[in-house]
Amino acid sequence: MTDERTASGSPEASGNHWTDALSGRTIVALATVGVLGLLGVAAVVAPESTAGGLFGVIVSTSTLSATLRLSVPIVFAAVGGIFAEKSGVINIGLEGLLIISAFSAIYGADVTGSLLAGFVVGVVSATALAGLFAVVCIEFRADQIIAGLAIWLIALGLAPFLSQVVYGGPNTESVGTLGTWTVPVLAEIPLLGAFFDAAPPVYLMFLAVGGAWYTLNRTAFGRWVRAAGENPRALDTAGVDVSRVRYAAVLLSGALSGMGGAALAFNIGQFTGNGPTMVNGKGFIAIVAYLFGNYNPVGALGSTMLFAGLDAVQLRLQTQQIVGVPDSLVQTIPFVAVIVVLALVGKTRIPEAAGEHYESGEE
Amino acid sequence: MSDDSEDRPGPADDGDDGPAPPADGGADDGTSPSGRLRAYALTMAKTSAGERALIALSALVLSMLVGTVIIVVGGVIATCRTPVLTLADLTLCYDPIAVYDRLFFGALGDPLSGGWSPLNPQFAVTLRETTILVFTGLSVALAFRAGIFNIGTQGQMVVGALSTALGVLWIAPALSGVGGTLVLVPVGIAIGALGGGFYGAIPGALKAYADANEVITTIMLNFVATLMVRYLVTDHFQDPTSQAVQTASLPEYAQFPAVLFDPRLDFSLLALGFAVAVVGGVYYLLEYTTFGFDLRTAGLQPAAAEYGGVDSPRTVLASLTLSGALGGVAGAVYVLMVLGKFQTGVPSYGFDGITVSILAGNNPIGAVFAALLFGVLKSGSTVVDFATDVPPQLVGVLRGLIILFVAMPEFFRLIGRRIQPEDTEPARATGASTDD
Repeated sequence: MTDERTASGSPEASGNHWTDALSGRTIVALATVGVLGLLGVAAVVAPESTAGGLFGVIVSTSTLSATLRLSVPIVFAAVGGIFAEKSGVINIGLEGLLIISAFSAIYGADVTGSLLAGFVVGVVSATALAGLFAVVCIEFRADQIIAGLAIWLIALGLAPFLSQVVYGGPNTESVGTLGTWTVPVLAEIPLLGAFFDAAPPVYLMFLAVGGAWYTLNRTAFGRWVRAAGENPRALDTAGVDVSRVRYAAVLLSGALSGMGGAALAFNIGQFTGNGPTMVNGKGFIAIVAYLFGNYNPVGALGSTMLFAGLDAVQLRLQTQQIVGVPDSLVQTIPFVAVIVVLALVGKTRIPEAAGEHYESGEE
Repeated sequence: MSDDSEDRPGPADDGDDGPAPPADGGADDGTSPSGRLRAYALTMAKTSAGERALIALSALVLSMLVGTVIIVVGGVIATCRTPVLTLADLTLCYDPIAVYDRLFFGALGDPLSGGWSPLNPQFAVTLRETTILVFTGLSVALAFRAGIFNIGTQGQMVVGALSTALGVLWIAPALSGVGGTLVLVPVGIAIGALGGGFYGAIPGALKAYADANEVITTIMLNFVATLMVRYLVTDHFQDPTSQAVQTASLPEYAQFPAVLFDPRLDFSLLALGFAVAVVGGVYYLLEYTTFGFDLRTAGLQPAAAEYGGVDSPRTVLASLTLSGALGGVAGAVYVLMVLGKFQTGVPSYGFDGITVSILAGNNPIGAVFAALLFGVLKSGSTVVDFATDVPPQLVGVLRGLIILFVAMPEFFRLIGRRIQPEDTEPARATGASTDD
């Protein structure tokens, strides 16, 4: 996967869990490469076989573009989750933030007639919900896990409720989709051309990952965020308000998830609110993605692309009857992958003070 | 993978010297989500029953107030032919009072109007929902007491429901009549418990032996369960005469017999009685058995439990298995009492179970009252849907709000302090321990 060194930015990565986590990550990385290699060999030896066909599906420009497209909401939520958890607030409500922004982005676009305005509405609403979560956790010392679940359940009820109010059903009307930005020449490259012929949120995603990495590791705010999660008392002693840093980090997680949710909705130009809604667990997959990526935005991108890649392959397999396995079973692949990865990674070294309320001594 | 870091021995007296809630930043256990959960469970355990009931009630009232705002805002956004209120350009389509009237009185079958009978159809629906919610609430509560957050009750219920339906369909042809009922209903419940227990054992083993966070694994397993049962039913057990994804119907004698209530109402007093009996059983298990003691100790003081000889991984596995089995029983009752077959798209009883448990402070007996409240809300939402234009998803929003408010007892203490300012000092210092 991606380089692990950058993740060791946290000063006191205690060796034990770290090596454990690393070995789990290595296993997954090796397994991924191994499976791809085997399929590749099969494709060369017997191009007509199932394995050969599968390799053809995996290594294709359209699968890569689908992977990128499917990665967008997960990566945004994961990067947001990194900020929140690094600052000491475990935000398990990312799913809810994605749901609320997916709906409000469509609603905003429908009312204003502009996708860009809709995007902004999505970001604002997710940030507002994250703000509520922040107040509840930081001001009223709620249990973060339970409050996060509440945020998810509120959004899970509220978005279809509002859709029903406005559109008379759990699904909204269609507002149109974002087009693609194509970089001339580069888009023609076989396979990798997918990186240069994508919807705007895909480029924004790479920007967000780079920006988040830089912010966390190279700026004063990044240091504060990490200190608020690792050693809030030291940060307090240094004269920085821990609560304010945590508020900023949680609001940032809302804004980033908002972008993810809006991008997800604009993919198909509609919000669908039946059952688990169109977000369908992406917020929870994002949590596993950043745990697996060891709180490193680049690592989170890598692990997301693994999950999203499996999802993309799964979607392609449904349309092309290459493997004789029923759709429902194939659809479980990404979820099972998440469980397997989590079991392999085991305990991650979460920030020392994550989940704890911090009370400044001055009060 | 599991190493010594799993239950890093925190100070055994953690939390004893200052029964302070999460306020105390020094709590060593708080370094993991489940550690936080333990701290929370500790807070809940030290909160008096009276205070807990007060918090639950206040949370309900506050959620309804916020719900009112949502109804009004929704009513302004919505367009309708006959608004209940018109102010200049604004039209209000929904009447919040009518909504809550339908939600509560509607669910009970209008007890204030004349000729009310406890056997009325809507009240039967309320009790039916209550019965299933008791089981899902117990499922979540049992895990919670062990310091484990089982979000997977929904999936365990789905697996249990399908297991029950398939098992009973397989055995039923060999039996008939009252004898058939006497055998099939208990056997069906047992099969459901096995199925759900197995499905709960998966995240249990993953947590116990691979240290995988159960919040995530159980949520993922919910998705897997939904997809797996859809595959199993469509590809192997589909009722050929039906458009819906469902199994064949169980024979009448394989279902819970209705007592007093009209059989068409899909409610059986026997099932409710069974639910109450299980509540007693779980209460006894938790409070009066060695296993229950181990479980509670593991939830509150994992380090002390380990020191006292509790096999922590085994307790984790056993708790989640048992929790899953209760979820499976919920599924079995859903099949044997309500549906009479298995059909995909099981309602979200599992998620409601989280609310029921949290509202009840994870107390099995409290879960009965919380389940009744939620039974009213769920049953009432169908009345609301029928009688008003307000979308029934409102209850989903209320569910989330209630959890949110219950999660922040500090908020209510703050209000309490505002009302009684003389209590400020002790309340500040000792938090939850003031039970007056």
